Amino acid sequence: MNGGVFSPARLRFFAAAIVVINGFFPAIWILLTSFKSSIELFRKPITYWPAEPTLQNYVVAAIEQPLFQVFMKNSVIVALLSTVVSLVVASFAAYAIARLNLKHRQLILTAIIASSMFPLVTLLVPIFETMRALGWLNSYMALVFPYVVLNLPVCTLILVSFFQSIPRDLENAAMIDGCTRFGTLWRVVLPLSAPGVFTAGILAFVNAWDEFLLALSLNSSAAMRTLPVGITLYQGEFTFPWPIIAAALVVAIVPVAIVIAIFQERVVGGLTAGGLKG
Amino acid sequence: MANVQLRQVVKRFGDTEVIHGIDLEIRSGEFVVFVGPSGCGKSTLLRMIAGLETTTSGDIEIGETRVNDAPPRARDIAMVFQDYALYPHKSVFENMAFGLRLRKTSEDEIKRRVGDAAAILRIEHLLDRKPRQLSGGQRQRVAMGRAIVRDPKAFLFDEPLSNLDAQLRNEMRTEIKKLHLRLGKTIIYVTHDQVEAMTLADRIAVLSGGKVIQYDTPDEIYNRPAAKFVAGFTGSPAMNFASAEISSDGTSAVVGNVTVTLPESLRTASAAYRGKTVVLGIRPEDISVDRSAGVDCTLVPARVVVTEPLGAETLVTLSIGGAELVARARPDVSLHAGDSVQAQLASAKLHLFDVQSGVAIR
Repeated sequence: MNGGVFSPARLRFFAAAIVVINGFFPAIWILLTSFKSSIELFRKPITYWPAEPTLQNYVVAAIEQPLFQVFMKNSVIVALLSTVVSLVVASFAAYAIARLNLKHRQLILTAIIASSMFPLVTLLVPIFETMRALGWLNSYMALVFPYVVLNLPVCTLILVSFFQSIPRDLENAAMIDGCTRFGTLWRVVLPLSAPGVFTAGILAFVNAWDEFLLALSLNSSAAMRTLPVGITLYQGEFTFPWPIIAAALVVAIVPVAIVIAIFQERVVGGLTAGGLKG
Repeated sequence: MANVQLRQVVKRFGDTEVIHGIDLEIRSGEFVVFVGPSGCGKSTLLRMIAGLETTTSGDIEIGETRVNDAPPRARDIAMVFQDYALYPHKSVFENMAFGLRLRKTSEDEIKRRVGDAAAILRIEHLLDRKPRQLSGGQRQRVAMGRAIVRDPKAFLFDEPLSNLDAQLRNEMRTEIKKLHLRLGKTIIYVTHDQVEAMTLADRIAVLSGGKVIQYDTPDEIYNRPAAKFVAGFTGSPAMNFASAEISSDGTSAVVGNVTVTLPESLRTASAAYRGKTVVLGIRPEDISVDRSAGVDCTLVPARVVVTEPLGAETLVTLSIGGAELVARARPDVSLHAGDSVQAQLASAKLHLFDVQSGVAIR
């Protein structure tokens, strides 16, 4: 039976292949499109593989487009800042929830989860009004602040579960060895929660990098736009330069890919193995 | 090196009081063992001394300084945990050096102290490894090394051997005893294993229900238990107990239809119990079935219920006056279930306890 056409192993392989192709097809199509000229893109019959591959789209998208590098810089600053602040605040929040004798701990956790249930569009107007009142429209703070707030629930929840999995005696040992509470968090809990910290970091970074609605609404000046907003403005009123947009998107994916590649290596389980008995 | 003093120490979790006003003095350089069944409060008491649990009321002093409000790091103590609690992300060297680094010790001094401790514990070859690459016994040594390098005022051990197999446990027990002889430090050691308590301690605090039932030397704990609980907790097999009635003239205790003569000291002590029921206690080694009658022995008729040869000795369960008592006999004793024998009870080694309170009558 194992060697049959419909063996379980083969069926599993086909199922996995369908999922992977479905997930990656748009990305692959964008990558292929970015190497085609506009003429080739609309040529019939369709050429799946670029017949005359060109890097011209990249030159236009990333170099000749005057604001692309500004968009990129804005995105990097906003995503990095919001990720770092999210992780710092979420670490303290998660440690308090996981370890301190808080009253109503469950209520706090439920409130954190509930706060992430509002659709972003319902929050848009209040956030806009708040930012305008603070005078933060068209600034990095206009995006960093809301992104931190939006990322906090998921980062906190991830870190709470990691912190709770660390044996308390490790912290007790650190405190007897000479650590303060903060020292324990910094020197023992966070290093041992590295997989959780990196997972939360990746999510926070990607969320901030991809976010469109707030970026479009709060930072309307061209110099403060982030990549997702900037790239959509590549299209003219009557023109859709798809290959150039595709090239810009590929370039936009690169930093995310780098972040994931770096962090993924650190997201290794079993780091706590051996500290305790067993 | 320092003494540790507990004065009327109380611990409450919410409305539940788990430690009820304990007074203890641990002398400088003394090896004291807290022993008792699970839930007796021995670990909580140790954690209160370490500063890992707050003290509801009373005073804890380490080296004449009241430390109730001092965080663990300010108490200058070192602790070895049941689960070792080694930092998994640090090498053995860094695990041992961690406390010294936090105290801004110079790199040369750190190397010297870690090297010395590693030599004492014979773990020099493991210094570059991570905890996950070590066996249970090696982890235990590293945990002790981490405590030694700090040169603290006192060492606290929280059931450090309970995760090791029997053979390793015996080995490490000897190591800990040697370590105490070598370092001469104050050690407070928590265990539920009476063998560890008896072999290691200068003094043993037997705890039950959040109270110290007896605080004494192992010899006194074993031979002059202050309560039935203490008597039953020490020794393997434990002390035999049987319900007995003190005769009206106070010279003997009657177990079923068997009369056991009481020594002079117990006759006086049990004067108030004449005609009343008490608990009579006798250790297995104080009942003999294979020796000629001694001077201070009471000969009583007994029937063999079962024999358990252990190699070095044989345990013989006897029915004496309806009560089942275990006797320790030579390995070559030739007895079988159902045999009738004359058992000798060593009168001087008899114990009497109050039925209600369990307190020793003496």
